[in-house]
Amino acid sequence: MPPVLSVKDLSVSMNGTKGMVPVLEHLSFDVAQGKTMALVGESGCGKSMTALAIMQLLPEDFRVTSGSILLDGVEVLSASPKELRSLRGDKMSMIFQEPMTALNPLYTVGDQIGEVLRQHRGLSRRDAHAQAIQFLKAVQIPAADKRVDAYPHQLSGGMRQRVMIAMALACKPKLLIADEPTTALDVTVQAQIFDLLSELQDDTDTAIVLITHDLGAVAELADDVAVLYAGRCIEQGTAHEVIARARHPYTRGLMACVPHLQLGRMSNHASAELDEIPGMVPPLGARGPDCAFLPRCAFAGAICRAQPQPPLDRIDAGAAVSCWRHQEITP
Amino acid sequence: MSDGLNISAPADVLLDVNDLVVHFPAGRRGMFGPPSKVHAVDGVSFRVRRGTTFGIVGESGSGKSTTAQAVMRLIPMTSGQIVFGGENIADFRGERLRLARSKFQIVFQDPFSALDPRRRAGDLIREPLDLLGIGSPREREVRVKQLLEEVGLPPQAADLFPHQFSGGQRQRLCIARAMAPEPDLIVCDEAVSALDVAIQAQILNLLKKLQRERGLTYIFISHDLGVIQHFCDEIAVMYLGRIVEQAPAQVFFSAPLHPYSWSLISAAAPPGPLRDRLKKDYLVKGDPPSPVDPPPGCRFAQRCPFVVERCRDELPILQVEAEEHFIACHRTGEIAPPDFASL
Amino acid sequence: MTTIESTAIKPDKTALPVSAAASPTMAALRQFARSPAGVVGAVVLLFLMLATLFGPSIYGVDPLDIAGAPFTPPDADTWLGTDYLGRDILAGLLQGGRATLTVGGVAAIITIVIGVTIGSLAGFFGGPIDTALTKITEFFQILPPLLFAMVLVTLFGQTLTTVTIAIGVVSWPSAARLTRAEFLRLRNLDFVKASRAAGAGNGHLILLVVLPNALPPIIVSATLAIGVAILFEGGLSFLGLGDPNTMSWGLMLGQNRNYVLNAWWTVAFPGAAIFIAVLAISLIGDGVNDAINPRLRKRG
Repeated sequence: MPPVLSVKDLSVSMNGTKGMVPVLEHLSFDVAQGKTMALVGESGCGKSMTALAIMQLLPEDFRVTSGSILLDGVEVLSASPKELRSLRGDKMSMIFQEPMTALNPLYTVGDQIGEVLRQHRGLSRRDAHAQAIQFLKAVQIPAADKRVDAYPHQLSGGMRQRVMIAMALACKPKLLIADEPTTALDVTVQAQIFDLLSELQDDTDTAIVLITHDLGAVAELADDVAVLYAGRCIEQGTAHEVIARARHPYTRGLMACVPHLQLGRMSNHASAELDEIPGMVPPLGARGPDCAFLPRCAFAGAICRAQPQPPLDRIDAGAAVSCWRHQEITP
Repeated sequence: MSDGLNISAPADVLLDVNDLVVHFPAGRRGMFGPPSKVHAVDGVSFRVRRGTTFGIVGESGSGKSTTAQAVMRLIPMTSGQIVFGGENIADFRGERLRLARSKFQIVFQDPFSALDPRRRAGDLIREPLDLLGIGSPREREVRVKQLLEEVGLPPQAADLFPHQFSGGQRQRLCIARAMAPEPDLIVCDEAVSALDVAIQAQILNLLKKLQRERGLTYIFISHDLGVIQHFCDEIAVMYLGRIVEQAPAQVFFSAPLHPYSWSLISAAAPPGPLRDRLKKDYLVKGDPPSPVDPPPGCRFAQRCPFVVERCRDELPILQVEAEEHFIACHRTGEIAPPDFASL
Repeated sequence: MTTIESTAIKPDKTALPVSAAASPTMAALRQFARSPAGVVGAVVLLFLMLATLFGPSIYGVDPLDIAGAPFTPPDADTWLGTDYLGRDILAGLLQGGRATLTVGGVAAIITIVIGVTIGSLAGFFGGPIDTALTKITEFFQILPPLLFAMVLVTLFGQTLTTVTIAIGVVSWPSAARLTRAEFLRLRNLDFVKASRAAGAGNGHLILLVVLPNALPPIIVSATLAIGVAILFEGGLSFLGLGDPNTMSWGLMLGQNRNYVLNAWWTVAFPGAAIFIAVLAISLIGDGVNDAINPRLRKRG
């Protein structure tokens, strides 16, 4: 079966004062029906730009400079504005980090969910309203038949994000893009939203692109993962393989610098120092052809300085990595 | 109220907060109804030992940041005592309060809004020294360079404006500024929450280093249990304006007693079978309710899986359960805590 | 879990900009210089100011002297014609511009000083102080400004000083409301709290922390207030309530208004002068707005 989403060699540039600056370089990945692909990285690594490129919602100054994005066999990059409008919300939809600003404060949540259905499914107002209640029930909002007439500000953050999910899934899209869907939420609510997403995915077989900085979320939700650094994919593979055997020094650093909760034992937490990745992501326009992680890498060797960044090198069926020294440094 | 009120406190206690209450007005219910109040902080007491880190964890609306800012005397408090270094600073006003501020400082969550965009980094770090009249102008300049170095920034950073720094660098500036008057206590109000994980580790290590070198005391506010465990010696869990559990870190993460603590832990546990089981048994549903006019009884009663009639009527008081382990729950001992050791 | 050798705390020296960039004020000035409307406005206004400053001595005609027959149309001797008493219109324009522009500037300063003082105190302290000051502001705001100014001028005499003060006194409420809104927004930001935590008192916070950050919209409104004040002065003089002893554009309009059908030049030139001055000032206001409103600025 062909993948729902197939991104090939995607590059995005920003048209700044100093000309075109690459933001995302040569990204390729596939997402199959019912699977979840996670894009992971720090801010400024290009993960949100990928999402916006797929939705064709890039900000004014940004351009796709190469590549192709096939959604269910349709080239998104050459779609007309009219085709795009019917794709968005119907075949692909997106949920955002901040559900308060992503919902229109002047309409009830029922109207907003109903609007999607009326636009893409041609439902009557009454049917759309009834459907909206069903969707709110599906995303486990208590007292859905009352809440359907609530305005966004009357709901809590967690409920707003549930409404966003209901809206996004209203037309049973093939692809859902979730851009940091839980970052703005409380921890106990985050866990509930993750559970909800994976339950709904089991029911609907939607393909999900999950954008996150949280490797814990990846372990929980994702089937595959691509780790982005400074606009380049530096490691890609199944989530299990990448988390269990990270090969790129950056991926390993990311995992080591998060303090993991240790339960049940008398840990000697206080003395421990976190492993840190020194420095920061090079800003846009300051990225040369050599490995972007080079200045921060504890394993950088002569070959890294002498050669440009290597292409993603497929190691086995489960993983690919872009690092000159991955064989030497993998324990 | 007198300054010498807390003679009973052990000598190594730097801060002793007693029954702190912060209420905000929240309009009226209807046009003629009684005025509503946000019970942001509702009777919070805790002690912080010199040279240690006291962690406060909780979700939005728990009152953790309000507690921190009230202790810093940055927002008006309704009642309570804040005994800092033997003096009740809750009574301080005007000039006396202004000068006392040199001993307690704060680092905010968002390093983008915490620095005046119109002033250079050096001026911002020097500001507390200028305002509190510490050192001669020459000495202040030297001190600014010193502080920049201590937080890992080059001296020429003093001439730059905040927008020229990255998020992590700005948080370093905020720390340098908080360090400037040589305080005893620094409150870190979600100080690493807005940063990328790699930067977060840098800042946590920096704070640890400064604590080692200068014997600083921290109040560390966070919603991230992993960070809290890594960084804090003692942990207080807040829910809707009240502390529901307080214990030394090791005790808290090996034998937590409050159902809300279990829920927080189950949401933050590393992925795996343990997490799945914890989530199934202990993760609560729904969102934290609003702190406007909370109902009587235990604040957590609405969401608690172990709720009984008594919980809805009677507010549980924070009580000593074991040495240094405090808990506010009617059902302690009646319900079995999660067993972490079986895995 | 793999481990990477723990690195010591390295100074975070990566990617610090090499040069100390200009201050936000300098950046705004540079931005202003790039706005065509602002630059045109500034050039025109500068020309008007220089003309009124040095024009009278260069042109060398006393605006109160009779220069020819009344209602002489523009010709080689009197370039813009003469008015109903035979006074030279160009001389009047050059001389009168001083008063008009001064009234505009000073009245705008009065407007801003009163407005910013009241607005900042109300916004910063909130509570009962805010309520009281807001009531006072509203009281002044509901008075019809032109009528109120006429009353003031009638009561205290038709001098240029009274006119200026009257204009300032009737126009400050909008500046006060704007300042108050900015202060309300800014006073709860972390950097203000951070300054308080650093030991800043209320005076320091208001003047050195909040006010500089509240200034951008206030500057824009101050610029526009100059234009409004010039129009106001014109209006008062037109109604015969200006200072009859000081030549101003408004006075010229007022004194010649009955002859507009017989001798268009007596009214058209002072009117055009006011129009050009106010237009130039609004163009400057636009430029200032573009320069200090970062949302409109293009990404660098």
